[in-house]
Amino acid sequence: MDGRGVLCYNPLMPIIEVKNVSYSYPLRDGVRLKAIKNLSLSIEEGEYVALVGMNGSGKSTLAKLLNGLFEPASGDILIDGINTKDEKQIFEIRKRVGMVFQNPDNQTVATIIEDDVAFGPENIGVAREEIVERVDEALRLVNMSEYRARTASKLSGGQKQRVAIAGVLAMRPKIIIFDESTSMLDPIGRKEVMQVAKTLNESGITVINITHNMEETAEATRVIALRHGRLALDGTPKEVFASSILEDCGLKLPPARQIATELKAFGLDAEDVIDEKGLEEGICRLLK
Amino acid sequence: MSVVEIKNLSFVYSKKTPYETRALDDVSLTIEEGEFVGIVGATGSGKSTLIQHLNGLIRIQDKKRSSITINGMSLSDKKYLKKVRFDVGMVFQYPEYQLFEDTVAKDIAFGPKNMKLSKEEVDERVKRAMEVVGLDYATFAERSPFDLSGGEKRRAAIAGVIAMQPQVLILDEPVAGLDPVGREEILTLVQKLRREVSKTVLMVSHNMDDIARLATRIIVLKDGRVVADGTPKEVFISGKIEETGLELPLAARIAKNLKARGFDIGDAITPDELVAGVRRAMEAKHV
Repeated sequence: MDGRGVLCYNPLMPIIEVKNVSYSYPLRDGVRLKAIKNLSLSIEEGEYVALVGMNGSGKSTLAKLLNGLFEPASGDILIDGINTKDEKQIFEIRKRVGMVFQNPDNQTVATIIEDDVAFGPENIGVAREEIVERVDEALRLVNMSEYRARTASKLSGGQKQRVAIAGVLAMRPKIIIFDESTSMLDPIGRKEVMQVAKTLNESGITVINITHNMEETAEATRVIALRHGRLALDGTPKEVFASSILEDCGLKLPPARQIATELKAFGLDAEDVIDEKGLEEGICRLLK
Repeated sequence: MSVVEIKNLSFVYSKKTPYETRALDDVSLTIEEGEFVGIVGATGSGKSTLIQHLNGLIRIQDKKRSSITINGMSLSDKKYLKKVRFDVGMVFQYPEYQLFEDTVAKDIAFGPKNMKLSKEEVDERVKRAMEVVGLDYATFAERSPFDLSGGEKRRAAIAGVIAMQPQVLILDEPVAGLDPVGREEILTLVQKLRREVSKTVLMVSHNMDDIARLATRIIVLKDGRVVADGTPKEVFISGKIEETGLELPLAARIAKNLKARGFDIGDAITPDELVAGVRRAMEAKHV
């Protein structure tokens, strides 16, 4: 199923517009590394995008361009119609685009969980009563309300990431970018975070999940693969998994699809399988 | 003689403070030469504390009760500490963050140099280590480690450990943060290292599919205790994994669900076993 645009509230204006954007990092002696090359794409409000590609393909650079941490060397990025180059609007961009990073231990600023979640809204001068309201709501959405008065250091990895997500939610963002947010978690922590991402997406938030995990990739409605800073693949998981350049992008088929491919000789329709559930159903049909 | 022998090992962090946490609770186990041990457990189960004991990075707290010997050398005895650090190679999580020299060759030479080997022997070890991890000497030796790609950096970091030719190689989440193709390369490399450099391998991983495929034995930790220890099949079929809050490998989850739905394809923990099980069930259907 192609989920693009299904939840689009304003079909005239995508929530994210990347227009001919290039960006490079200084390496040394005037040499620059071109991380993003003439990239154009747009994302509609409410989409769930997996942003994938090999190490160094430009995924994290793109994420930092999207919330104005980096400014394009050329081209423009519009978030909800606002150009990220407009310095006066930088807080408007940051409010709209929240980021959850990789390491659960590097994202807490306060000792007590509710103080940590309140940090963002406090910084932008939100009124006290509203802060309380936002913190309540954010902790409820990530299922961490009962931990609000506890210290962050005692939590599991998945719980810490959920607190980091709550901190982002307290800013009421329209877009949340997960930058390999599950890569340091155990399987249970990973599931917790992915479940929260899905719930938030269903509530209308645009989700971009930067990941190396192909099972997570299969959960998105749209997959965007970068290669050497350029757009290499863009489509539904099914379309992208069928691509002949998948491995050139540093990607592999999700494990369930790999097994399905092995079972093709027995009549299993491997092209239909993108996840575990699909594989189970496919095998059931074979054995019936 | 076992390569690794751990007896009654306990460890408490922040002892006698409000933050006191018991990380290891009376762990005893032995590891024989040639084993490929997968160490699994949820975050905070004690995996890192356990492996850091094995090369003396964390010192034994209660020397009266606990003991660790590596090839017969007791870690309670300071005189063996240096030798043990050469014998037990440790590849940490994100080992590329520990690259520090200005060339790849110098970085890899750091360990062998500390072993007080001759310059020729050090050079030889660096060349050999680079060859094993697949970094061409002519291309990479004089390059800055910081100019390498993600996968290359990780291989350079692993080369720095295996240049010491450790008998036991410990890897803490060696594929974390790598893209799928890079992951597969490193896992293939780990198998090669076991054949060519370090016969005994301990690998900490959250990925049960990798563990099911590679390990000859799995040790499951929960709250600092060993709650399961056996072959992958024994451990994954025993039901112990779910009790610890981890998950089964993909093939085992599917086999289990199929069984619940009335299709018994037998026990499977790897993709190959699942495919074989389906094949058998298909053939039985046609008889």
